[in-house]
Amino acid sequence: MATEREKHSENVIETFSYDDDIVKKFMLATVVWGGVAFLVGLVAALQLANWRLNLGISWLTFGRIRPLHTNAAIFAFAGNAIFAGIYYSTQRLCKTRMWSDVLSRIHFWGWQLIIVAAAVTLPLGLTQSKEYAELEWPIDLLITLVWVVFAVNFFGTLRNRRERHMYVALWFYIATIVTVAVLHIVNSIEIPVGWFQSYPVYAGVQDALVQWWYGHNAVAFFLTTPFLGLMYYFVPKAANRPIYSYRLSIVHFWSLVFIYIWAGPHHLLHTALPDWAQTLGMVFSLMLIAPSWGGMINGLLTLRGIWDKVRTEPILKFLAVAVTFYGMSTFEGPMLSIKSVSALGHYTDWIIAHVHGGALGWNGFLTFGMLYYLVPKIFKTELYSKRLANIHFWIGTIGILIYIISMWTSGITQGLMLQAIDESGRLVYPDFVETVLRIVPLYWARAFGGTLYLIGFFVMCYNLWRTYQLAPKTEKVELYRAPKLAPAAPAPNEKWHRRLEGLVPTFTVLAIASILVGSVIEILPTLVIHTYVESNDKVKPYTALELAGRDIYVREGCYTCHSQMIRTLPGDVIRYGAASMPEESMYDRPFQWGSKRTGPDLARVGGKYPDMWHFRHMLDPRSTSPNSIMPAYPWLFQNKTDFASLRRKFEVMKALGVPYSDEEVANAEASAREEAKRIADNLGAETGIKELESREIIALIAYLQRLGKNPALFEDVKVGDAGTVQQNEAKD
Amino acid sequence: MSEVQLKEPQNQILKDEEALLLDHEYDGIQELDHPLPQWWLWLFYLTIIFSVFYCLYYLTGWGPTLREELAVTMQEIEAKKPKAPEGGEATDEVYMALLSQPDRIKNGQEVFIGKCAACHGEQGQGLIGPNLTDDYWIHGTGRPTEIAKTIREGVAVKGMPPWDGLLADDELMNVTAYILSIRGSNPPNAKAPEGTEYPAN
Repeated sequence: MATEREKHSENVIETFSYDDDIVKKFMLATVVWGGVAFLVGLVAALQLANWRLNLGISWLTFGRIRPLHTNAAIFAFAGNAIFAGIYYSTQRLCKTRMWSDVLSRIHFWGWQLIIVAAAVTLPLGLTQSKEYAELEWPIDLLITLVWVVFAVNFFGTLRNRRERHMYVALWFYIATIVTVAVLHIVNSIEIPVGWFQSYPVYAGVQDALVQWWYGHNAVAFFLTTPFLGLMYYFVPKAANRPIYSYRLSIVHFWSLVFIYIWAGPHHLLHTALPDWAQTLGMVFSLMLIAPSWGGMINGLLTLRGIWDKVRTEPILKFLAVAVTFYGMSTFEGPMLSIKSVSALGHYTDWIIAHVHGGALGWNGFLTFGMLYYLVPKIFKTELYSKRLANIHFWIGTIGILIYIISMWTSGITQGLMLQAIDESGRLVYPDFVETVLRIVPLYWARAFGGTLYLIGFFVMCYNLWRTYQLAPKTEKVELYRAPKLAPAAPAPNEKWHRRLEGLVPTFTVLAIASILVGSVIEILPTLVIHTYVESNDKVKPYTALELAGRDIYVREGCYTCHSQMIRTLPGDVIRYGAASMPEESMYDRPFQWGSKRTGPDLARVGGKYPDMWHFRHMLDPRSTSPNSIMPAYPWLFQNKTDFASLRRKFEVMKALGVPYSDEEVANAEASAREEAKRIADNLGAETGIKELESREIIALIAYLQRLGKNPALFEDVKVGDAGTVQQNEAKD
Repeated sequence: MSEVQLKEPQNQILKDEEALLLDHEYDGIQELDHPLPQWWLWLFYLTIIFSVFYCLYYLTGWGPTLREELAVTMQEIEAKKPKAPEGGEATDEVYMALLSQPDRIKNGQEVFIGKCAACHGEQGQGLIGPNLTDDYWIHGTGRPTEIAKTIREGVAVKGMPPWDGLLADDELMNVTAYILSIRGSNPPNAKAPEGTEYPAN
């Protein structure tokens, strides 16, 4: 019976068409948002070169623009590019139309809605401050919903496929879809305190680990695996060459998805993260070189024998250089993950160089190659001008090189200067701003490199527009024919992996299992870290006013330039004080360790300067720190502090385990106003300015003056030695 | 409507690859089955072997923790620091003698402009920090050794950072001497006196 039905169905030839309209939509969105992402990036680059370009406008300031740039580049530009490529290739690799045209459109419009929401909320300062996960909870929910729609549509399409085995590109798409879902959901567990604000359930070191597990794997599973999938489709298509090694595909796919997920802690080397997690993060990053290079080898050696064609064909040029940048970035990443290299490179522009080698070179150029291939294909015409595409290629490549070389130089220069200690044990460059002055010329060079890249991009837009105009006016729907897929019949002699390629559910479960192993082993122990630290009586939670100030600090994106993490490095300790401990940030939701020091670390800034210093500094940073490149924050002196929400904020914090008493919660607003009045009265006496107590600057000063003010932690005081603790507190 | 015939793949296959071509075909994409490159495989093995030993060393408590390593380095740095001359501290007279050495005063002025001027003003007239040119002193009585002590140790409550370790010993002396030299200079926009008056002798 079974065999009869099998025979029968194998003979059924079905006719179908592909949904290329959705691909066109995603391609257009890629180009539009790409332009936005690059422009905003250029603005941010210029702001670093000259602080005046912050213009004194809150929503244009670097701290708010920088998250907009990263989100636009990753989720809007790269995101739409991924979807365009996945929708195009999946249908063809499965010989079937997308499962549901409606879901495809919900996915498209939903995703654009998310991007628009991001473009509005981030400049307004509505942010969780967790990098590449800044968007607030209503948008987080929308992302989840749209991602589920995408997943359902994708797996529905796989179910309808007319090709028994899944090609390697589809393996990478599967890994992408399931892992991004896991990452997004776990990192976004937060409690709302209002329509556009929330606190994460994780605090301090937990939040840091979960965030960088997410952040690193956003790079892995949003900027790497889907693009590898695209590479596996578009490189052999554009080159008319078979993939170099099927065996290598298998080995590097599974090793990549298994190992990548562990590497997150390399973003937290020498921090307060426990040593064991740092060690795991480092070794798994090192072990990533080979699996990553497996992809590069398979991409480049597919071009074996046709290098003469690469010289003349711009599509292949873009793809080949993209894969080369991938190889370079995936060598640089593991090197930067070595603890001693990270000591030099972390918090500096070296990291900026590293991510842009990946983003501009690998993601950007692969996308451009794909667009040059797809646009003529889909519109059934020839590319308008190969010459313009070649010009784009060269301008873009030179732009990337100028960008990354200037940022390497900047990062290594500043890293060396900041850690330099002379024979007598003193910092050679005690003034932070001295190191900044040295690298400002490189910020101009970087902006120039970015401008070239942007010009190249506009050349492409023009070229693709003219190509589109060449398209025949009447569009014919193309019909394809293929036999219906017979029910799974185990073929004899089929090797285990070959069989697995025909079993979508099993394959998907194995992929999920591969990424869960590392996730669980690293994250679970950290979730209980604050219980075994046993420090609750040493660390005081924030007062209501300090919390209000902290929320302002988060809103302004101060963390984009200032860390709050003194690493276990002599240069850090001599400059800023004792190395940070996990207890210090145990009430920090979200954590503010930062990832880049364009300005000095603030972990111990409390008490270092008088209130008046901060007051003047925020109004005009150069009045207190000559040559500073920090923007001014005049609106903090106008805006009123949101006292009314403090009670709700305290309620949420208490629910999350912060030891506030019921009385403290009930009095949150009143106590904040009282504290604000005290600070404002002192400042008012000096400045003659009245009614300062309701302004945001007062709350921010209260927070800044609190940083590092847990004296009991730094004096080797034994728990319970109350006398000493009191003495230390009195000294403040 | 137009029907498209799926064509046989027309990929370029090199001579030495014919035996390696698999019967896989997806939308015209074919696959070869080259063996894993030896150097690649060895790279993978080496990183794994290194990682195992590295973990054994650092995860089992055999190797030092990062904080222990830091403590050792900091001790080495401390050991190298020149010992403060016990009892042999510079006296008021030593500072006063510097006033007749223009190059020391000039260096002191450079240090002052670079580090102190942000709070005390370019001419010591006082901004956030107090005026340093008048006869009023908050910490001490204006004696050279007291000024040097304030510079070295800072005044945490008032926001004055400690400069010990950030300034070389001779820089510290020079800037103290420079402050002595601007006493009574009556710069424009001078800040109102703070502290107690201790007239210069």
